[in-house]
Amino acid sequence: MTNKRTGVFVCHCGTNIAATVDVKKVAETMALEGTVAYSADYVYMCSDPGQNAVIQAIKDNQLDSVIVSCCSPNLHEGTFRNNAIRAGINEFTCEIANIREQCSWVHKDRAAATEKAIKIVRSAARRVVRNQSLDSIAIPVTRRALVIGGGIAGIQAALDMANAGLDVVLVEKLATIGGHMLQLSETFPTLDCAQCVLSPKMVEVSRHPKVKLMTYSEVQEVSGSMGNFKVKILKKPTYIDTEACKICDDCSVVCPVVVPNEYDLGLTSRRAIYIPFAQAIPASYVLDENACLGLHPIRCGKCKDVCEVGAINYDMLPQVVTEEFGAIIVATGFDLYPQEKILEYGAGNVPDVLDGLQFERLCSASGATQGHVLRPSDKKEPKEVVFIQCVGSRDPAQHCAYCSKICCMYTAKHAQLYKHHVPDGRAYIFYIDIRSGGKGYEEFVQRTMENDGAVYLRGRVSKLHRTKDGKVRVMGTDTLTGQNVEIDADMVVLALAMQPSKGTEEIAKILKIGRDKDGFLAEAHPKLRPVESVTGGIFLAGAAQGPKDIPETVAQASAAAAKAIILLSQPMLSRSPTIARVRNSHCTGCEMCVDACPYVAIRLENGKAVVNEVLCEGCGACSATCVRAAIEVKNLSLAQVNDMIEAVMTV
Amino acid sequence: MINLKDIRDTARDMLTKGEVRAVIGWQQGSRGMAAEPVVITAPEQADSLVWNPTCYHNLSLYLVNDKKAQAHSKQKPTLPIAIIAKGCDARSTVVLMQENYFRRDEVYIIGVSCEGTGVVDEHKLAVALQGAQPTAAAFEGEDYVLTLADGSEKRLSAREVMADRCLECREPFPKENNLVLGEDKTGRSLEAPFAALARFEQKSEAERWDFWKHQFERCIRCFACRSVCPMCFCDECVVDSIEMKVVPATTAQEKADRVRWIERSATTADNFGYHMTRAMHLAGRCIDCGECERVCPVNIPLRLLNNKMEREARERFGYEPGASIGASSLVASFRDDDPNAFIR
Repeated sequence: MTNKRTGVFVCHCGTNIAATVDVKKVAETMALEGTVAYSADYVYMCSDPGQNAVIQAIKDNQLDSVIVSCCSPNLHEGTFRNNAIRAGINEFTCEIANIREQCSWVHKDRAAATEKAIKIVRSAARRVVRNQSLDSIAIPVTRRALVIGGGIAGIQAALDMANAGLDVVLVEKLATIGGHMLQLSETFPTLDCAQCVLSPKMVEVSRHPKVKLMTYSEVQEVSGSMGNFKVKILKKPTYIDTEACKICDDCSVVCPVVVPNEYDLGLTSRRAIYIPFAQAIPASYVLDENACLGLHPIRCGKCKDVCEVGAINYDMLPQVVTEEFGAIIVATGFDLYPQEKILEYGAGNVPDVLDGLQFERLCSASGATQGHVLRPSDKKEPKEVVFIQCVGSRDPAQHCAYCSKICCMYTAKHAQLYKHHVPDGRAYIFYIDIRSGGKGYEEFVQRTMENDGAVYLRGRVSKLHRTKDGKVRVMGTDTLTGQNVEIDADMVVLALAMQPSKGTEEIAKILKIGRDKDGFLAEAHPKLRPVESVTGGIFLAGAAQGPKDIPETVAQASAAAAKAIILLSQPMLSRSPTIARVRNSHCTGCEMCVDACPYVAIRLENGKAVVNEVLCEGCGACSATCVRAAIEVKNLSLAQVNDMIEAVMTV
Repeated sequence: MINLKDIRDTARDMLTKGEVRAVIGWQQGSRGMAAEPVVITAPEQADSLVWNPTCYHNLSLYLVNDKKAQAHSKQKPTLPIAIIAKGCDARSTVVLMQENYFRRDEVYIIGVSCEGTGVVDEHKLAVALQGAQPTAAAFEGEDYVLTLADGSEKRLSAREVMADRCLECREPFPKENNLVLGEDKTGRSLEAPFAALARFEQKSEAERWDFWKHQFERCIRCFACRSVCPMCFCDECVVDSIEMKVVPATTAQEKADRVRWIERSATTADNFGYHMTRAMHLAGRCIDCGECERVCPVNIPLRLLNNKMEREARERFGYEPGASIGASSLVASFRDDDPNAFIR
């Protein structure tokens, strides 16, 4: 051990570390360690002069290992390991001792923080003595990508990757791609028709030779890792032969079952056999097996009788296909916060109190009322409409703590659309404050106020109820005048919060990616890695990651696609060699590590555990589980852990 | 009630027919009334088998020994080995199979139900007999009948002199078995499960600390607890790594990386380390046969430690050690609804 020559480099990080930790003392104390041949401090180790000093010191002092005590290894491990290579030593003999996030930033007492920093650095120095020189593992890449979710985010990501030459599979849970954007009438701030801008992209993605659409399908199981995922996809039976279906509508006319139409959010109805909407892709009918009387000619069978081309097949079975991908983009989108949870606004039981998406369908030319704004209860034109913002958002006590970001804009849009449809109507908007950051957004809101005369009332609505004459009484406060406001409205539109779509939790579990406290998919770093999930090779796009509007969603989708393209354009992937290693002499084959491994990287062979080096992420769950100390992570061996504990415990 | 003749007939029968290569059971010991474990391999030895309140040994330990012996012999046995198993013995056999120590078809389990009469606690018995020396013990309904040195008989309620582990036992019936003798009286625990632990936890933190300090000061590190435990089957224990088993596959790195986590000498601090580590390594594996506590020469109440882990596992994760061969082990299984409020 004594012939080891470790270099210790203590960074001030300006005052980030130096203000709380006596960095000079840390460097001086470390110089006394038997294995430390060189110890120095510098104001910014990661700066060019700092890095050069590290390289020079390694060369001048014949160092064989390096400890850089600075910020989290998440940030600069790569930087300094690269320096190790440039100085001619193995990159895995360079380790980071984090004295910033885990020390200086969380402590105030300088003396105690310095003592802790010394312990952290000392434990790293003791560890690195036993570090082995390792070579990265090179693995081949599957040059195909999976996109989960066929909304605008998924479509954009799929198109970008396909245009870059990758084979893409786009999986959509529903019978058609398009997502929520298809339900929108016009989009802010330019008021162009949502369907008109989206449907060309839908057509393009469906005709793209590099894209395989899998609608009415769900991801069931994912194994493998970055570069080589294996994915099981469940194709639910539509009971219709898509190729044969002529979209003649004969079947739905004879179908006796009437259920609410999800596409119109229940404002219209559909049959058990239906086409989601005219521009659905794939253009085919679907048989809703939950609504259908029985999928059997004896039970009903009217649709099958009437179908001239014989496209209906009651015996169609669910199919599970296994596909391999190198990268996955998750674009599972959002749902509106359920109106049922908003008790003060009638929990969805007061007629003519709609949510934002329902109002979109009222305004839409393809919607329930062919683009005439008519209130659902009596199909009359509403003359007074109250829009309420922040319903469910910014309410940590009862609902969601976060701002849903798009409601200020779409409410302004709703008010404009309403005024364009009903020029003599009055629009009232209750708001907390207006958030209109974005190109052309503030001007759009101003137009709503000035050109369209919407009445903006700053304050919350305390409650609402239906009056005897069929109106909705809205009781609120205008906090600018300090007066209570009561409006007998013909219709109320709630700008409900955005929340992650219903399947998000499940897909996060299947993909083993994290979610934030609100349930949105968690990005790897809030600033620097906003489109990557914490799991390598899985990227995020759209509102599944957090509330965002269409331009942002499209931008993020393209960014995620770019990340996937970068990953898949490498001929071989380099993986960290710091993976688990089995000590055969100790392994009894109890299989605990096999169960504990979150990456399914361990299997039993001839009664001993065997690690798959491609799948292993080096997390150490196996090592912590094994009571026999028979499995450990390379360069974090039990002996090293023991030495590190000893270093920390030594006063 | 179990007829001893049935046990002997079963063992003799199986050995005669060549269905098993040996039967692990109990025979009359060489000292006083106590039975001792025995492995019989010939039909005529079956008559030496006994079944009485001193059959407290967990015989699954001898399955482990048998397996270890196999590792040294070139000839692998083709026939299974039979074990006469109480509820607890059967549960630890299940854990061993869960951990792939042997396969189910390598073992033939002749279950014997304790029927709620359990096995004797010799300390309690000595107090009850006030110094009289028993030479034999037998089950009689819900009582033990003891033959004393002077030839007289004394009848004691089993409940009075039964081992604590049996009083708290929830499963005296060996559920995993190939055949079973005796009635299923599962659920007839005489005391609430974890009763002794619950009583202990009434103490304040300071009192508990002093209690354990006192206990571990006395530990002489004879390792009887480890030797008697069927779960302590590791070839190399964390406390012995100084004597690491070196096999041809052992690499130079492994030799260099030998770690001695805990000193082998009996200092209070290292005794703490040893017993805490053992308790952690038994979490989800210990089925409370109580043998460690019984064999401790300085009477350290080790069941309190093991029970604590068992109860935590049950209450937090609904985990029952020894319930199923196919179950994933406690420490290796993760469910989304696992509670995590204790992680701070």
